Amino acid sequence: MIKFEKVSKVFPGDFVALEDINLLVKKGEFVSVVGHSGAGKTTLLKLIYAEEQPTSGKVYFNNKDISTIKKKRLPYFRRNFGMVFQDFKLLPQKTVFENVAYALEVSGKTNQEINDEVPGILDIVGLSNKMEKYPEQLSGGEQQKVSLARALVHRPLVIMADEPTGNLDPTSGWDIIQLLVKINDLGTTVILATHDKEVVNKINKRVVALGRGKIVSDIKKGKYIL
Amino acid sequence: MKLLKIWRTFKEGLKNFSRHRWLSLATIIILALSLYVVVIPVFLGLAGNSIIKNIQNKMNISVYFNPEVSEEEILEIKNDLKAYREIKSVEYISQNQALDEFLASENNDPIITQALEEIGENPLLSSLAITAYKPNQYEIITQAIESSNFRDKINKINYKENKKYIEDINEIVTLVKKAGLVLGFILLLTAELITFNTIRLNMYSRKKEFEIMRLVGASNLYIQMPSIFEGIFYGIGAAAASMVLLFLTIKVMAPLTQELTLLAGILVASFQLYFQYFWIIFAGITALGVALGIASSFIAIRRYLKI
Repeated sequence: MIKFEKVSKVFPGDFVALEDINLLVKKGEFVSVVGHSGAGKTTLLKLIYAEEQPTSGKVYFNNKDISTIKKKRLPYFRRNFGMVFQDFKLLPQKTVFENVAYALEVSGKTNQEINDEVPGILDIVGLSNKMEKYPEQLSGGEQQKVSLARALVHRPLVIMADEPTGNLDPTSGWDIIQLLVKINDLGTTVILATHDKEVVNKINKRVVALGRGKIVSDIKKGKYIL
Repeated sequence: MKLLKIWRTFKEGLKNFSRHRWLSLATIIILALSLYVVVIPVFLGLAGNSIIKNIQNKMNISVYFNPEVSEEEILEIKNDLKAYREIKSVEYISQNQALDEFLASENNDPIITQALEEIGENPLLSSLAITAYKPNQYEIITQAIESSNFRDKINKINYKENKKYIEDINEIVTLVKKAGLVLGFILLLTAELITFNTIRLNMYSRKKEFEIMRLVGASNLYIQMPSIFEGIFYGIGAAAASMVLLFLTIKVMAPLTQELTLLAGILVASFQLYFQYFWIIFAGITALGVALGIASSFIAIRRYLKI
């Protein structure tokens, strides 16, 4: 589903973020990408949703070279993904419901469809009683659940989570990870970038370890070994 | 873009507008002041123009004929003059008419009437009053008459007396037009820069929102639309505010300028223009305001969309 072919990414100032990456992620897989800060995890994710373009090599999504996607088509391409970030990235002036609904609004879904889908998703993440609250009225864990609901609501093919537990206490963090695992069980591909050792060890799924921009290990049912 | 999306972005724009109401208010005030400053010279120029046009319409030159020239000859010359394409109209004023007008202008002063009786004959000359299309054509017309085949029959042309007056007005018209144009352009540029900067600050405070929208898969146009609608709201609000300002200015200024006849005249003319063309002026200012608002929003937001 996602394929990296000899991908390197060099940022201005000769900073090598990724070097000679070869990686294949199959449909329905749960892949944890681990490594210290600055190892290139975020850049790897950005290359997948075309926020960055590789300096050399190619990234394929469903056998399509991502670099050939026209800028105008990028928003549509991005609707294949659901994204979760460390800092939640919620719109502060929208309620929980509106934040999740926004992801559907941009793709032109009708109000009827939105009213049908959003409560269901919020129920899955356990926030159906807080739909009218604003992000600042929620705890960090709850905000991340809203972010996850927003990532899920348009039924993306891949969920990408960049340090989703970074700002959360261990219990809330584990809630989020469990939700990701559940989503994966339902068939959605999940890519989780994290440096949280405990989390990775508990999941017991594929682990790709990055070190200084290179893949240093790729283990099927792996542990965090760096 | 589908109607549903346009409606959604419109609502979003309206929400942003009222949510950031202080920022919106500040933007509107600055845009309104800019529009006001641009419109004032244009407006005064227009009013001045309409006054000058009035004066020009009343202006003419008179060609006086020697006493021995007969009425038939003068009427013949009148027909000749009518053929000139610079000449708008020619009016024959006979000796008797001239006398009547003169007496009327002196309120039939008995001393003058008596003096005229002493002379025994009408001392005034018959004349042709010539009106040109444009004030700068009097020079050519006078030259043409002075070199014509009937120049010997002419006693005098009073163009020289009027010349100074005509030239003054000519100068004012050109000056008003030039100054209005230059000033208007500079002010428009300033207005655009100020408006753009205000809206840019407004957008800067929301750049994180734009990033999030982009990551959720919103197209650039979808992200831009609410801001463009906001630009439209700014434009309409600013136009309405500047119309009120304009009205107040004329209203407050009018009594202060009673002594300065020319300025007072301009203000009276402005007042008439204001009401006569209220909707046209309002539409013009709104269009300008909306264009400034849209252009500024559009350019300002592009920075945050990685276009």
